[in-house]
Amino acid sequence: MRPSLRLLNLEVSSLQGSRTLYVCSVCRQEARPRPLVARQFLRNASNATPITERVRRKIWGTDNPPGLKDPYGGEGVLERKFKKDQPARQGEESENLDQATEEAQAESEADLAAAEAYEPATSWEGLPRVGHLGRWSDLPPSETDGYESFMLKKKVTKKGQLSLAAHQAAVEISLMHTLNMPLTKVCDVVEHDKSVFKMLWKCKIQPGANGQWSQAVVYPSKEAEKALVYIFEQIGGHPEPALAEETAEGAEEAVEESKWEDLVSEVNDKNIPFFGYADVRDKGFLSLPLDDPATKFAFLKRFSQLSGHYLPDPVIHSLATVGQAVEYVHSALNPKPKKLADYLANSQGLNNLPNVKVFAKKQMPMDRDEELGRKKVIEAELRSRGLIE
Amino acid sequence: MTMKRLQLQRWSSSVLSPRARTGGRLQQHLYYNLRRQSTISPALQAENEPLFEEQSLDTPTHVPQSSHFKYLLPSPPVEAARESAKLAALHARLYLPSRLPLETLARSLVDASADSNPNFNNEALASLGHDLLSHYTSEHLVCTYPRLPLTVIFAATYAYVGPKTLSAMAKEWGVEMAAVPGGEVDPGLLQFKRVLPGTDVNAEPVTGTERPNEHRKSWRKSMSSRVVYDNEFGDPVRASGDSAAPESQNTQGVTAEHASATFVRAVMGAIYLHAGRPAAKRFFEQHFLSRHLNMSDLFNFSQPARDLSRLCARENFEPPVAKIISETGRKSRHPVFVVGIFSGQDKLGEGAGASLLEARSRAAVAALKGWYLYSPLNVRVPSAMEEEGAAPWKPVHVDLGEVIV
Repeated sequence: MRPSLRLLNLEVSSLQGSRTLYVCSVCRQEARPRPLVARQFLRNASNATPITERVRRKIWGTDNPPGLKDPYGGEGVLERKFKKDQPARQGEESENLDQATEEAQAESEADLAAAEAYEPATSWEGLPRVGHLGRWSDLPPSETDGYESFMLKKKVTKKGQLSLAAHQAAVEISLMHTLNMPLTKVCDVVEHDKSVFKMLWKCKIQPGANGQWSQAVVYPSKEAEKALVYIFEQIGGHPEPALAEETAEGAEEAVEESKWEDLVSEVNDKNIPFFGYADVRDKGFLSLPLDDPATKFAFLKRFSQLSGHYLPDPVIHSLATVGQAVEYVHSALNPKPKKLADYLANSQGLNNLPNVKVFAKKQMPMDRDEELGRKKVIEAELRSRGLIE
Repeated sequence: MTMKRLQLQRWSSSVLSPRARTGGRLQQHLYYNLRRQSTISPALQAENEPLFEEQSLDTPTHVPQSSHFKYLLPSPPVEAARESAKLAALHARLYLPSRLPLETLARSLVDASADSNPNFNNEALASLGHDLLSHYTSEHLVCTYPRLPLTVIFAATYAYVGPKTLSAMAKEWGVEMAAVPGGEVDPGLLQFKRVLPGTDVNAEPVTGTERPNEHRKSWRKSMSSRVVYDNEFGDPVRASGDSAAPESQNTQGVTAEHASATFVRAVMGAIYLHAGRPAAKRFFEQHFLSRHLNMSDLFNFSQPARDLSRLCARENFEPPVAKIISETGRKSRHPVFVVGIFSGQDKLGEGAGASLLEARSRAAVAALKGWYLYSPLNVRVPSAMEEEGAAPWKPVHVDLGEVIV
């Protein structure tokens, strides 16, 4: 027994037995009734001033020391449990029931009163919604819950389409350079309208001597230049540009049927990347430099968005031109075979040679026997002697 | 010396088309069943055109065939020719014309003992090639050495296009042999049925020839009769009507030498059919005539002095007289005599020997070889007239030949 408890024990025993009679501590423990084991914790259970109060009074030197009545936080867990289990037996302590217990009792009385006035519902109208526990998973999806990936869901695999993505990105970044707009704003419009895409597709890129992106675009016509400049001013200027805002005015006036047609056509177009265009018209964009870090980041961001391919950081660091980026993605799509046999079997140069034969598997002595025609003789001999079935 | 009569045009057409009726040695092929995958097309019967289009090659038939099916075939299927690296390498190594397809080259590697179907073995090609080779060789020999004795011509022909030479050529070309023929075998390997080990291939003499009184072994066989009855090497040959011989060959197998020779002849025939006569002649000159043959080693005189005197008598020369030109060490252990044979004022030959008789004999041999090995300048063979725009033919000098003692 810890010294502090022994101290308490001494106090409790003084209440029960006379002080004159000496009883040893072991006998005092055994002679005590069992429930009293818990009473040692019930500091507030007796009317007598507890030792803590007395210590406080002694410290302050007055019968009414300032501060809380019980500075140790009220009842402990065991005391409360003990009190709840035996409320009737501890009749003397029922006055000390705290406020919470009384409230709980009042609630249960109110429930009992409501149960008497219960009427079963005949229809669902007016009934409160039951079963909803207030978790986020029970809430219906809100607008912010929807997720649209930054990149394409399906990666572009054909080389022509990769070139298309790189070309479009290069033209857009060059346009933003020309307009002095923030470069990465082009990523806000995931997919342009077909007419806009066609104009972008027709644009050529002729990189200058010093590798400037701003003068690189060669427009197919004046009208296309005007339209593209207008569109990209909108894209760069608007804080939240809508998808295909160039058709927004027309769409407002359109009737229901035309909306449907637009939807259908959009769905159809979305199935085909780049509206079915297969390859770029010129290859001038491939030699555009990626020296400027901001331009490189903007280009690669847009290129990743359009093509669906991530570029790892070490690769990004080593890229110097647009063509290298396209080449990297293309080579990542068609990795070199790990086995030499696969590489040899797929090599066009060897397959075109008539006097070279590449076998898919290792040639064993049995293959040599078959080629010479003696395998069947060997097998027949083995079979006749019962060595093989 | 009479050359064997050759009818190339008729024979080549018979190789081109299995339906064409021919006589003689190709008679036996007519009654074989046709197999589907033949390299030759029966529809193409352009008899006057030695080259034909390989239309069957333009539309290859892709028949899915299991490996088990290949085991049932006696020789590799036609489609396998394109798959074989050995075959393409052989084609390139021989510098064969590109008009000769790999399929035909593969067919020329299949002996009749491996595949008895004449549409798939090289027998017809080899027949054509054999006759082309003997034709070109004999006209070359006769025009280049118009006075050669017949035995020497036989020996020279054997040395140029005999089976031993041809098998050595096949070996030099790097043609390997399959152990056992079959459909699964690489088509670049020479396929034939081998004779059983220990078989004596020359055990029995050739029987069934066209020579009358064949059963009389003791009768002398004259050289002139060999021209008529024997083959171009002077060896007895079976009659063409005798069909029992190939059957026994197919069951018993053939020697590697025979199969190799047949392959080389078939290549010659295939070149003639696919690439034409000029290419065939070029191939002959590059692969056969380019082989060095010392003609003077082929002679074997038993009595050269007598032959020389008969020759001089026939040619109306003065009788030959042997005279000592010089001598040294007559009394020593190793005397040397140099003897010349003179006909009047002309010295016919000269020889050195350890005795007077030996020296005279050598001088006579030298005189005879000098006579027999006469070769005119600017030799033209009769087949040179087959080319377009050839110069007018001037008859070549062909001598009476050897002296008959």
